[in-house]
Parts: sequence; C-alpha cells; structure tokens
Amino acid sequence: MVMRRLLRLADRIQLLIVLVILVLPIAWTFLSAFKPRTEVAAFPPRLFFTPTLENFVELFGRNDFLHNTLNSLIVACGSTLLGLALGAPATFAISWHRMSWPATATLFARMAPGTLFLLPWLLMFSAAGLVGSHLVLILTHAVITLPVVIWVLLPYFDGVPRELVESAQIDGARQDQILTRVVFPVVMPGIVVASILSFVFSWNYFLFALVLSGIETKTAIVASFNFIGEGVTNWGALMAAAVVIALPPLILTLLIQRRLVGGLAAGAVKG
Amino acid sequence: MARARLSSSFHWMAAPAVIFAAGMIVFPFGYAIWLSLSDVALGADPRFIGLGNFARLLADEEFWNGLRLTLFLYVVSLSLQLVLGTWLGLLLARSRSAQGLVRTIMVSPFMLPPVVVGMMAIVILDPSFGIANWLLEQAGLPPGLWLSDPDTVMLTIAALDTWQWTPFVALIVMGGYLSLPQDVFEAAEIDGANGWWRFRRVTLPLLAPTLITAAVLRSVDILRFFDIIYLTTQGGPGTASTTLNILAYRRGFEFFDLGYASAIMVTLSAIVFGSVLVFTRLRRAVTW
Repeated sequence: MVMRRLLRLADRIQLLIVLVILVLPIAWTFLSAFKPRTEVAAFPPRLFFTPTLENFVELFGRNDFLHNTLNSLIVACGSTLLGLALGAPATFAISWHRMSWPATATLFARMAPGTLFLLPWLLMFSAAGLVGSHLVLILTHAVITLPVVIWVLLPYFDGVPRELVESAQIDGARQDQILTRVVFPVVMPGIVVASILSFVFSWNYFLFALVLSGIETKTAIVASFNFIGEGVTNWGALMAAAVVIALPPLILTLLIQRRLVGGLAAGAVKG
Repeated sequence: MARARLSSSFHWMAAPAVIFAAGMIVFPFGYAIWLSLSDVALGADPRFIGLGNFARLLADEEFWNGLRLTLFLYVVSLSLQLVLGTWLGLLLARSRSAQGLVRTIMVSPFMLPPVVVGMMAIVILDPSFGIANWLLEQAGLPPGLWLSDPDTVMLTIAALDTWQWTPFVALIVMGGYLSLPQDVFEAAEIDGANGWWRFRRVTLPLLAPTLITAAVLRSVDILRFFDIIYLTTQGGPGTASTTLNILAYRRGFEFFDLGYASAIMVTLSAIVFGSVLVFTRLRRAVTW
C-alpha cells in the first residue's frame, strides 16, 4: 500500500518535471514579448519587469507586420477553403465507392519533401507570371491542406449510413443536393476538425511562402524570418512576432484537443 | 427509374481533386525527376544528361556531409522521441491525467509553428544572453554554445525537435495503451511478473504497431526537417547543419543549380519513401 502510494507520487513528480520543461520555453517567450526593449537581451535574465506593449507597437507600427499577418490569414483561409472544396466531395466519392488509390496518392503528397515540388512550381508559376500572388500561395498550401482534409474526413464519411444516401436518391434528390443537404450535416464535426487542422497546417507552413511570396504577399512567418536576417536583431519585436504567430494555432487547437492527435495521425495507420 | 438512380456513380465528385493533384503534385513530381536528369542553367535550354547529376552527387563532399547529418538527426531524434514518448505515454496512461490543462500543455509544443520554436531557440539558447546558459551557470555547469558550435549544433537541433514532438508520440502511445485489453496487464501482474519483464514481454509487443505508426509519422518529418535549421543556422556554422534538405534548398534557390538540386531532392525523397516502406513492412511483421 505504501509502495503503491510512493509509486504514484513518483509518477506525479515525473509528470510535473515534463510539464515544466514543456511550458517554460513558451512562457519565457511570451514573457519576453512584454519586456521593455532593452531588457529582452539583458544578462542576467530579468524575471521581474514592468510589462509594456512597446514591442508590439514597434512590430505593427514601424514594420508592416499587420499586412503580413493579413497575408497569412488570406493564405490560410484560402487554402483551407480550397482544400475543403476539393477534398470534401472527393472524400465522399472515395468513401462511397471504397476506392483506395486516392488516399494513397494523397499520402504520397504528404510524405514528399516540400523542396521537391518547389523548383518545378517556381518554374511553372514564373512562366504563368503568378509568383508573388496570393493565388500561388493558396494553391501551393492547398497541397498541404488537401491530404489533411481527405484523411481526417474519411472515417467520418465512412460512418454515414448508406441507407441515408439511398433513400435520398429514391426521393429524387440530385447528387450535389445529397452531398450538401444530407451528408454534410452528418459529417459536420469532421469538417470542423479538418478545417481547423488545415488552417493550422497552412498558417504554420514556412517553405513555400519563403520562395513564392512577393513583397506584397509576404506571410507573417516569412516576415519574421527576415527580421532575423537584418543584422541587428530587435529581440523584443522578434518575441512579439513569435507571440502573434503562435496564438492562432494555440487557441484554435484548444477547440479540438480531443480529436487532435487522431487527426494528425490519420492516414498513417492504413498507409 | 429509381434503380437507375441508385446505381448512379459519385466518381465525378473526386474529379476536381484529381485534376488539382495532377497539376500540382503529379506533374511537378515528374518535372522534378526530369530536371534531375538534365543540365539546367538559367536562360539556356535544359539539356538531358541522364544520370550525370547523380554522378556529381557521389563525388560531392557536401552531399555526403548532408547525408551523414540527415541520418544523424534521424537516428538521434527518432530514438529520443520514441523512448521518451513511450515513457511519457505510459506515465500519462497510468496516472490518467491527460485532461484539461495537462493536455493543453502537452499539445502546445507540436501545434506551434516550427519557425516559432526556432525563434524561441535563438533567444533562449543565445550564448551571451540566453536564459539556458544562465540556468546552467546557476547550477554550476559550464555554458554551451548550442547552435553556434559545429560540434553541438546537430544535437541541439535534435533536442529542439524532440522537445516539440515527444508529447505527440506520448499521446499516441497513451491512446494505443488505453485501447489494449487491460486484463492482460492485470494477469501479468497477478502472475508476479516484475515491472521490467512486464514491460519487455507484455506491454512493448502489444504497443509495437502503435509505436511503428508514430515512427512513420516522425520519420517523414525528421528526414525532411527544414524550418528550424534554416531559421536558426541556415546550415551553419560552416556546413555543420547542412542536411540534405537544406543543401538541396541552397543549391536550388540560392545558386539556381536546378538540375543538381533536383537530384538531391529526388534522392532525399527516395530515402523518405524507403523508410516509410520499411516501417510498413515492419508493422505487418509485429501486428498481432
């Protein structure tokens, strides 16, 4: 009995240590963002300070970071919508006809290194004069979101009773109506999870926008990468940028925590 | 009439996605392979040279360096994440505590953009003002140069990825463990098997398929690891962190050596697909 209680205590202590290791770097970053500019890089590090918003004022005032954040939003929303528009009907067809090759094909896209596609895309989209546009970023990020949508939605579509679709057919519903009025409402929870994961994946993605964005379409992530390259780094503004970029994924995933790991691991089980 | 409609096909609904995939994935993939077989200089017509780029690869010191670093990162990161993830996942399953705040803390690292993890690392691990060295100093330990030292840069990068993704592996392991028939563990306990034996002979074999799933997911990401390296060191100091993916990027987008860069990327892709294939085989072997 005593042994058991000791073991449980040991478990608690181990877990506590892990949680501290996970939280501290994030907490330190958030804390640093609210420090006066001169104290961010102070040594020894200051734990106590007068919190200020001057780093955010600097970030949004002197730099064009608001514009960059808007670009990130446009690209993430656009690629999520495109992923859903392409992926949701496709997943229904895949599920209904029990096709297996499309899922494998999208898994391939999820596994290939992004750099592999990037050179051909650069050549293709340069020829089309699209490099630097929002459209090219939305299209390329949809390559990230589409597999997410398909793999997350597939189990939900598989769970739709076939009779539901068949009785709608007997009632004379058109195929597109069956999809939008009969099937979609049933799989709505899956569509929410797929949308949030797609948004986060697209928001977090760095490589494609690094090469294919222009001055006007630079995303928040690419812009903050450029801060670092500017020689004298403004550490305060950099931490503020980290906070601005980190918040949307952290908040959004709070909503779907329970399904998060399943969603991320989707596809790997069968593949 | 109804019969005819019932047998109707929904295949057309997949058409837009198939067309998109053909244009954005299949065609560029073929294009990349063709580029890897060509000599491409900007402004001149590409010339087919067969396996010439791959021959150059074999003679290139930087390619071998990149391959070595990629495999080093792969082995170190993957083993650390699987071992720590299994330990943490079983810990979570035992204490049934992955709820509320604990779960929020567990998912936060891997939901952060890798770029943000890189930004955090730059400030926290800065050799002169970073809090990491200050903490080491307080503990009476020597400070580290972390990302600025060619000897420690890859280990530091592996540690960053491990920090970010171990919780993910742990949550997968926890889910896998909790879905197992628990009476097996009780039976083993009643039989008087000690902890380590139970883990080796009962828990681990039952968890093997789950662990392989986690390994597949992490393999793909670690082998093509890019964001944190490019943000923090851009492959440096020197070429001490120029993994294959970084090397391919620099050759392609900084030197515009398109054919050669494509050859590196095709090679890297082959390594990724190869490792996934191995793990898929392995999963078949351990599935019970």
